[in-house]
Amino acid sequence: MVSLAMSPVTAPGSASTAWLESVLKAFEPSLPAPGASLGGLPRRRSAARDELRRTGLPPTRQEAWRFTSLAPLIAVPPQVLPVPELLGPKPDHPPASGALRLYWDGDRDPLAGMDLPEGLSRLETGLQDSLLGTVLEVAGTTGSWLVRFNTALAGQVLALRVRGNVAVPLELVSDCGQGSGVRPLRLLLVMEEDASLDLLEVHRAAGTSLTSVLVEAQLAPRARLRYGVLAQGTESSCLLAHLAVSQAPASELDLTTAAGGWGLVRLEPAIIQVQGSAATRLRGLQVSRDRQIADLHSLVRFEGPNGQLDQLQKAVVDDAGRSVFHGAVQVPQAAQRTSASQLSRNLLLSDRARVDAIPQLEIVADDVRCTHGATVTRLQQEELFYLRSRGLGADQAARLLLDGFCDEILASLPKSASRWEPANALLRQALPR
Amino acid sequence: MTSTASVGDLVSQPYRYGFVTDIETEKIAKGLNEDVVRLISAKKHEPLFLLNFRLRAYAQWLQMEEPDWASLGHGPIDYQEMIYYAAPKQQAKKASLDEVDPKLLETFDKLGIPLSEQKRLSNVAVDAVFDSVSIATTYREKLAEHGVIFCSISEAVKDHPDLIERYMGTVVPINDNFFAALNSAVFSDGSFVFIPKGVSCPMELSTYFRINSGDTGQFERTLIVAEEAASVSYLEGCTAPMFDTNQLHAAVVELVALDDANIKYSTVQNWYAGDAKGVGGIYNFVTKRGHCRGARSHISWTQVETGSAITWKYPSCVLQGEDSSGEFYSVALTNNLQQADTGTKMIHVGPGTRSTIISKGISAGRSSNSYRGLVQIGAKAVGARNYSQCDSMLIGDTAAANTFPYLRSQQPDASIEHEASTCRISEDQLFYLQSRGIGLEESVSMMVSGFCRDVFNQLPMEFAAEADKLLALKLEGSVG
Amino acid sequence: MIRPDAPVLLEIRNLHATVGDQPILKGVDLTLRAGEIHAVMGRNGSGKSTLSKLLAGHPAYTVTAGTVRYRGDDLLALAPEERARAGVFLGFQYPVEIPGVSNLEFLRVATNARRLAQGGEELDTFAFEDLVCERLKVVQMDPAFLERSVNEGFSGGEKKRNEILQMALLDPLVAILDETDSGLDIDALRIVSAGVNQLATPDNCILLITHYQRLLDEITPDFVHVMAAGRILRTAGKELALELERRGYDWVDEGLASSDHAEADATALEVA
Ligand SMILES: Nc1ncnc2c1ncn2[C@@H]1O[C@H](COP(=O)(O)OP(=O)(O)OP(=O)(O)O)[C@@H](O)[C@H]1O
Ligand SMILES: [Mg+2]
Repeated sequence: MVSLAMSPVTAPGSASTAWLESVLKAFEPSLPAPGASLGGLPRRRSAARDELRRTGLPPTRQEAWRFTSLAPLIAVPPQVLPVPELLGPKPDHPPASGALRLYWDGDRDPLAGMDLPEGLSRLETGLQDSLLGTVLEVAGTTGSWLVRFNTALAGQVLALRVRGNVAVPLELVSDCGQGSGVRPLRLLLVMEEDASLDLLEVHRAAGTSLTSVLVEAQLAPRARLRYGVLAQGTESSCLLAHLAVSQAPASELDLTTAAGGWGLVRLEPAIIQVQGSAATRLRGLQVSRDRQIADLHSLVRFEGPNGQLDQLQKAVVDDAGRSVFHGAVQVPQAAQRTSASQLSRNLLLSDRARVDAIPQLEIVADDVRCTHGATVTRLQQEELFYLRSRGLGADQAARLLLDGFCDEILASLPKSASRWEPANALLRQALPR
Repeated sequence: MTSTASVGDLVSQPYRYGFVTDIETEKIAKGLNEDVVRLISAKKHEPLFLLNFRLRAYAQWLQMEEPDWASLGHGPIDYQEMIYYAAPKQQAKKASLDEVDPKLLETFDKLGIPLSEQKRLSNVAVDAVFDSVSIATTYREKLAEHGVIFCSISEAVKDHPDLIERYMGTVVPINDNFFAALNSAVFSDGSFVFIPKGVSCPMELSTYFRINSGDTGQFERTLIVAEEAASVSYLEGCTAPMFDTNQLHAAVVELVALDDANIKYSTVQNWYAGDAKGVGGIYNFVTKRGHCRGARSHISWTQVETGSAITWKYPSCVLQGEDSSGEFYSVALTNNLQQADTGTKMIHVGPGTRSTIISKGISAGRSSNSYRGLVQIGAKAVGARNYSQCDSMLIGDTAAANTFPYLRSQQPDASIEHEASTCRISEDQLFYLQSRGIGLEESVSMMVSGFCRDVFNQLPMEFAAEADKLLALKLEGSVG
Repeated sequence: MIRPDAPVLLEIRNLHATVGDQPILKGVDLTLRAGEIHAVMGRNGSGKSTLSKLLAGHPAYTVTAGTVRYRGDDLLALAPEERARAGVFLGFQYPVEIPGVSNLEFLRVATNARRLAQGGEELDTFAFEDLVCERLKVVQMDPAFLERSVNEGFSGGEKKRNEILQMALLDPLVAILDETDSGLDIDALRIVSAGVNQLATPDNCILLITHYQRLLDEITPDFVHVMAAGRILRTAGKELALELERRGYDWVDEGLASSDHAEADATALEVA
């Protein structure tokens, strides 16, 4: 059989169980803070806690986790990440003019005291109750460990409804700062017919922290979501994010993720075109160096005809970094005339680094055009030489190529991302040698 | 959509090789235990090292679990209901073909593999295996003049025990996987090829496997060794009668290439696939692996897989020698309820190693056709290169085509490139051909063979045409 | 323009080079003086591109013997970018495509590196855009090409124009143009040739590699060299090109056979 070496680092059983138990204890459900949205949370939460206790941390034996080491996770103190007293714009990254920024800490209500722009509103509690979890069910990812973990911890949901065109770009910022501990964040986004929104999610962390994110977005017919996730962490911080989106016909999703610097980052975009006929564009960049692990597990499923997918995932791996791409594309019988392309491009810059790329195409419909590709290389020597023959130094040439490699992705983040200088943030230390 | 439906109809074609040869057969009692292993060894008068090899494998097998990772749907296999040794009743292998039971010769005639002096293929030496034993090998003397050994593995055990002991089990260890362990314990016959230093084998070598008994598992074992600067091209073909039960075929093939050696291994697999309802057919669970041990050695696998109810097969290359290279060219056609899970592993160990993978899957009916592959570039494989291309063609909207490539690299100065596409026969192209006066059926088969061209080109000349015909046959039928 | 007293810019002596273990250049001698235009012709595979890439410092080629002096200094000791900055330019036969890297940005960085080396000032983005727009005229290229990635999706002819644009920006002293005419349509050939003529000055020199007289009709060479099996077999004035056009290269075999290295080269020809 295709036997693959197991991931070398597996958290020792007892330590991980103890860690998980302490986290659950720290997040023992209590009375909700006044004003916080609850939705159908409590019921789901206790079910998820039981499930987690039963299953423990995801076993690295499992196919979906075999490449992901959990060591950085259980090094995070099993406590609630303390929330700083004051919220407010950091002097170094003021919001882009005309953008609405919400600070997100999983504790306080990000909408409290905010003037919401036209078209954007808080989703009514009743609706929240009935809608929460439905996208996950459609996607079939309710059992994903990331989903369960977040569901077990999150005490509130940021629930938004979008009607018509929201002219103001929305920024959701979670900055864990130097804090240690776990921060669960959950977002429910309901986009009505013809609604459109630019959303940028920013995750930052500099301490020994774990940010757990669970997003459910539901796009009604002709809705358009441009969604960027910019995540910059440090060696000791972890980010686990499950992003589930259901797309009705004629909706458009443009999702760009860019992550770097995290000890462990795992992103799980799960996109379902419920009746096909929608457009999905996925872009991703992940940068890992030192001993960082970056893992992207994507799922795109077409449940009806005429769907489109354009997916490009890139990774830059240096030092003893590891990068994993696992990309499933499912085209069942109902999905005739699907057109899907997936490409994974990996730059391997050091001989201690490691790349695993696992495209996974499952196709039953016959009238489809599906292509996928993957490359693992270092910087192209011919390209380097061409640049050097024009007078660029070796480092400069490499840098230019690397920037070019990354820019292709970063350029499709929502505009407000430029404030965060994504290229700098992600590539600062990733200099090829 | 009109032609899609008719294209679907094209794919069904009765199996031509489904007859049973009525011949007296010696079988041992069904079931598997240590005594059976000993009995097989004793029947073959094997030396002690081989008996021990079998017993170790059997002990390992008992500890192992049948894999289910490929999510192949098949009922449980009862290993105690199977017969592990069956041979046509005749005395020890005949020195001359004239003494071979004419029924057997006739069988192979009918299969298109004439063995007799007058009719045999002119440039191909054939080893014919019937159930558990090799019944004839042609051109042995001519090959011997060049120092080439081509015989059944049982004969090799008798005549060249040192070579067998030196090489057998070194590429596929006895505990490699469940089916390899089983094979190592009970393997019956198969072919042995040895090409000495500097010799390039003067003719194509070929083994033809025929399962005849309905309740017998076939566990053949093939070993090919090419010494320094030796080269050989080898082809295997397989058929079986139609039974409504499933027969297990769990073969092991090991290739060893020393410095500058070149081995080309081609397979045209057309085991009985079961009927349109998925009843009967061969379970083809095979372990094939080549070891490029020497510098600049080269191993090339070419396979055309059209038969079997279930195929589970990953001809692989371990590229250890510096600048060694591996190739995998595959066409897999599935129809009705056939399941094929096939692909390759290219393990790049040494510096400068190269590999190429070209896989073409064609799925029709309600079949499932998966490419599963691994390209691994180890930390020492400086300058290694891989290129893979996996294309699938779907005929009708109930067949599945899956692609599961694993790419793993630990070496920055190496490159992996993988491309894959899925398509169907385009209406435009069909129309173009038809508008030039070519019938639908022929158009489809032209397109399919065009789709497979890259792979067919790798087959030895004599067989490329055969393979093309075989696919055309499978696609032949009623065009509405 | 031939001036015997003009300074020697490039002097190649007995240059031997290999790719891997395979010898390709087998004793090239060539001297280029300021103000001169040289043409190198020769059969496919005779080593023309090898010579040009080697002069630009391509890592695939190993020099096994001989010297190359650029204005008296050892050129081979320099890294590729140092050569470019010092004024050696190669217009590639097959320019690579570099997806993701903006053409404009690339041109700016390269130009500034050369300007600094010449003791000039770096240009800021605006000043550079002015310069580029002016130089675009040399090759009559659409500014839209500046917005695209380097050579990506450029047609064959567009790539060649982009090469000459770079030459116009980098202001080289030795410009080697490897089959710059191939892939150009009739008008483009005139435009590019006019550009090259405009860039040729008494202070620099140009080495044209080409297969066709039609380029030499536009750019008149002072010398024509015939390369065969890794050496310059014959050198003469522009009339040699016309003779080649008439006679082809068959006479080359005789030339090779009568030379000292007859045996080695004959096998090399077979290989080529
Ligand atoms: N990187 C390389 N690897 C292997 N062989 C090479 C390499 N570069 C050049 N060669 C060989 O060296 C010989 C000379 O090639 P070169 O490109 O210099 O020829 P050329 O004169 O430019 O030909 P053309 O007129 O076709 O452009 C050819 O036989 C070529 O195959
Ligand atoms: Mg050339």
